Amino acid sequence: MVPPPTIAQQLAAKQREISVAEFFERNRQILGFDNPQRSLLTTVKEAADNSLDGCEEAGILPEVTVQVSKEGEDRLRVSVEDNGPGILRREIPNVFARLLYGSRFHSNRQARGQQGIGISAAVLYANLTTARPAKIISKVEEEEAAHVLELFLDTQKNQPRIASEDVMLWDRPHGTRIELVLRARYVRGRQSPYDYLRGTAIVNPHARIVLVEPDGTRVTFERATSDLPPPAKETLPHPYGLELGELGYFLKGTKKPTLREFLGKDLQGVSARAVGEVLDRCGLKPGQSPSSVQGEAQERLLKSLHEVSLVAPSSDCLSPIGAMLIKRGLRNVLGDVRPEFYAPPVSRPPKVRGGFPFMVEVGIVYGGALPADQPIQILRFANRVPLLFQQGACAITNAISNLDWRRYGLDQKGGSGIPSGPALILVHVASTKIPFTSEAKEAIAEDPEIDREVTLALQVAARHLRTHLSRRSRRDQAGAKFEIILKILPKLAEKTSHLTGNPVPDLTPVVTRIMDVVHLDATPVTDPAGIRVPVQIVNYTPRARVLELFAEIPPEAMAVAKFDPAPDGTDPGLGRAWWTLPKLTPSGRTQLELRFPPKTDVDASDLDWYVAGVDEAHLLGADPLPGDWDVRLPRTIVEAAEAAAAESAAAGEEEVDYDAAESSASAGEEE
Amino acid sequence: MPPSRARAPAKKSDEDDGSSVRADALQPTLALAKDIWGQLDRGEIPRMRLPLRTKQNLQFQMREGVWKLGRQMGTRSARKLDGALMLLRTFYLVDFINEMAKDKKTSTLRELYYISEAWQEAKFHSEDESNLLIEDLEVMCERLREDFRLHPEENGASVLGDLTIRERNRKGVVKTINCRDDVGDGGYSLPFNVEKGKVDFVKTSAKFVIAIECGGMVDRLAENGFDEQYDAILLHLKGQPARSTRRFLRRVTEELQLPVVVFTDGDPWSFRIYASVAYGAIKTAHLSNYLATPAAEFLGVTASDIENYDLPSDQLSEQDVRALEAELTDPRFATAEWRSEIELMLKNGKKAEQQSLAKYGLNYVTEHYLPEKLAEMGVL
Repeated sequence: MVPPPTIAQQLAAKQREISVAEFFERNRQILGFDNPQRSLLTTVKEAADNSLDGCEEAGILPEVTVQVSKEGEDRLRVSVEDNGPGILRREIPNVFARLLYGSRFHSNRQARGQQGIGISAAVLYANLTTARPAKIISKVEEEEAAHVLELFLDTQKNQPRIASEDVMLWDRPHGTRIELVLRARYVRGRQSPYDYLRGTAIVNPHARIVLVEPDGTRVTFERATSDLPPPAKETLPHPYGLELGELGYFLKGTKKPTLREFLGKDLQGVSARAVGEVLDRCGLKPGQSPSSVQGEAQERLLKSLHEVSLVAPSSDCLSPIGAMLIKRGLRNVLGDVRPEFYAPPVSRPPKVRGGFPFMVEVGIVYGGALPADQPIQILRFANRVPLLFQQGACAITNAISNLDWRRYGLDQKGGSGIPSGPALILVHVASTKIPFTSEAKEAIAEDPEIDREVTLALQVAARHLRTHLSRRSRRDQAGAKFEIILKILPKLAEKTSHLTGNPVPDLTPVVTRIMDVVHLDATPVTDPAGIRVPVQIVNYTPRARVLELFAEIPPEAMAVAKFDPAPDGTDPGLGRAWWTLPKLTPSGRTQLELRFPPKTDVDASDLDWYVAGVDEAHLLGADPLPGDWDVRLPRTIVEAAEAAAAESAAAGEEEVDYDAAESSASAGEEE
Repeated sequence: MPPSRARAPAKKSDEDDGSSVRADALQPTLALAKDIWGQLDRGEIPRMRLPLRTKQNLQFQMREGVWKLGRQMGTRSARKLDGALMLLRTFYLVDFINEMAKDKKTSTLRELYYISEAWQEAKFHSEDESNLLIEDLEVMCERLREDFRLHPEENGASVLGDLTIRERNRKGVVKTINCRDDVGDGGYSLPFNVEKGKVDFVKTSAKFVIAIECGGMVDRLAENGFDEQYDAILLHLKGQPARSTRRFLRRVTEELQLPVVVFTDGDPWSFRIYASVAYGAIKTAHLSNYLATPAAEFLGVTASDIENYDLPSDQLSEQDVRALEAELTDPRFATAEWRSEIELMLKNGKKAEQQSLAKYGLNYVTEHYLPEKLAEMGVL
């Protein structure tokens, strides 16, 4: 009689290799293929990211064209074409039709893709849903012709299977094109290919991106700069970020003959002094071979490495966008929204968490056609890749929600949560290792150091927003006052004169009482001769004023500026100029002018104007001189300003404003 | 100087141009213009002071038994854009009503709203805006809008019952009308002007007036012959009662010494209808001793009626609850009876329409509910 199989035997019989297809089916969600709409986005995203990475590695300004067209009931044809360096014929099958095959998995620098799953997963998805091969065309510069391959991913062996192969002449020096037919759905709006490519264009202003939608609509995101970002350097691993397994892997694989050399040259941040200290602590010998460090000794080595003070990880492996390019990218893509304000973008200095450097960049845009009555738009980026899903679970969103935006002029219920208003906030986190919440890389996990940096960057940008909004509100108040004195008062005088049969009175005294401000207007005019900034200062207060005017101009622009009249003093290094104005009687005015040659790189509507000799409450269109300018003002100005301030403080309180008094109690009452 | 108040209505002049406006009706409007002109001439920022027409500024006048405006004042100043615009509008309006007087014309409130189209930045953005400004002018000038030759386009309530009145119609012809025998099923329709000389009471056999919120209930009482059986005058309030309706009720109590009871739905909005009839409305508190009928009593439907008569009811909406809570801070409802009534309604969370009494048949309201309630109130 045959004995019954043991439990172990039964289990063994069941054990077999899991096929790639099964793996894919089970992990659709983390791979980004859980529904037709998302599958399209993931496909576009993986292909476009590869294109951009390829171009940047080769130092080529990227041109990426994404075309989506209908191919039957629930099928779409997606093609993504780039002008990248091309892929060698022998690499093509593995790059596109083999999971977990890639060049960047072991590299320690910032890059979009890393795991080598993305594009092959898209190919597999296309194979599985439509049984159609992926078509790849690629040409490298050295070869005459392009290779054309049709590929399947063999789900049993995780190996590429070539369905057909050909060569063709391609009217371009180099590049790659991938074409897939897959089950997918095209939707415009949130989490769409359009959204993704728009976000990509903002943070990659050096790329030209074209999207052709199924209905033939062609959207082009032109490049806003032809400077490639400096390539992110590959750096050595830093001990702070090292795991035990990794250390073992490096010890085994190194070509350095001694442990001392391994520590000093294969790792980052370990000085000669530190090498000695580490070795003292763990009791290993400097001359022993790295591969001889095994088991428990590895643990001691790593512990010592973590205990000794080391040079911080270097950050030149990061590729930030930079403040200037964030602004250009936003302007370029949001042009049709016509925002009224771009806060100067903030690029924080690199910081380190674990052994990995990271840095945070923030941009805020306000106004224009951005919807005023909805939550603000948040554009999240990790290593220049837009994050479109899981907004609520993301550390970036949390940092935004935890700030009290009411202090910066946005609406926010109870001082937390996503604020609302016509604003858009861009946050970019760059790092060689970003802690994502999941493999799908859709949200950044909560991390105290990242949170701190994002918050600091947000605060700096938000302060600019607040300054803008308070200036704007003062401008609006000025507008209302001008409306009163220019339009309403003359009519009121005319009506009451007509009704009483009296002559029309002189309104100057009333006008200065109502305005009660010194007003500065500096609206630039651009003409072929350059940019002209006429500055007019009017004393709309009931008393004579002695004033000092200060301008702050970017030093490069100031170097080419012409002034009329010449300033009474300048500081070219800081970009400052100042004038003592002639005494202004009530309703008195004076003017001066600045001129910049054509194409001067200056936002002439955004120059800073300061006036001394009048307090903030009685100043419009300019700010009081900041305390840190350290300017010694003439005594006459100081005294006049103090006297005026004392006088306005003594002015009596106002009675209840009749037209602002609560009258809702009477709503629904009477006829 | 204490806040200005509107006095008794303008006396009717002998001159008859189809309106009833006294000769000096517009004098105060010109005095306003003179005041503002003087301020401009002296270099002052033009401003006007007005009593606040808010709930917080209602004061009970013991002697007259009505709620009137208190002493809280607000300023309308040209320092702010809104104030400057309202000042300019005021004088466009003053100019307009003075021109109308010269031409012996009158205008509806709605027409005035459209007239303002020509006032450029001073034009009204809604009829509410123009109505509020007219009320401001009434307060400041101690006149009525009829003195300014402005009137609402809709007429007041309809009246059904044995009451004989004399009305001088738009052609100057005096007609004597019995509000039961000389009118159709719709009853006698009150004109917007119900002052003496325009409408005079001749005689009545009625013992009380019952003011009713909904037309359907008026028809029910008429069909059941309630007015004849109980010697009642039925008056249809048509929701929030117009000024002429409230003025008419005031005159009925004053001149005919008839008690008035108010019969509405049982909800917070109906409580406000009663309050504006009996105590005066917030918006027209400057006219309370002319429009309010302090003797008017609330008959129902009360919150306790809903329970006692087991009436079909609806849940209070969020708005209803807010309205009831606002009433708890309204000085007009600050009596023990009203507080307990409002609190009971909040507690039960229920409201009911007056026609829900039909649950017990069409005659129930006239045979049971009203006789019981009226007896309770001592009217029958």
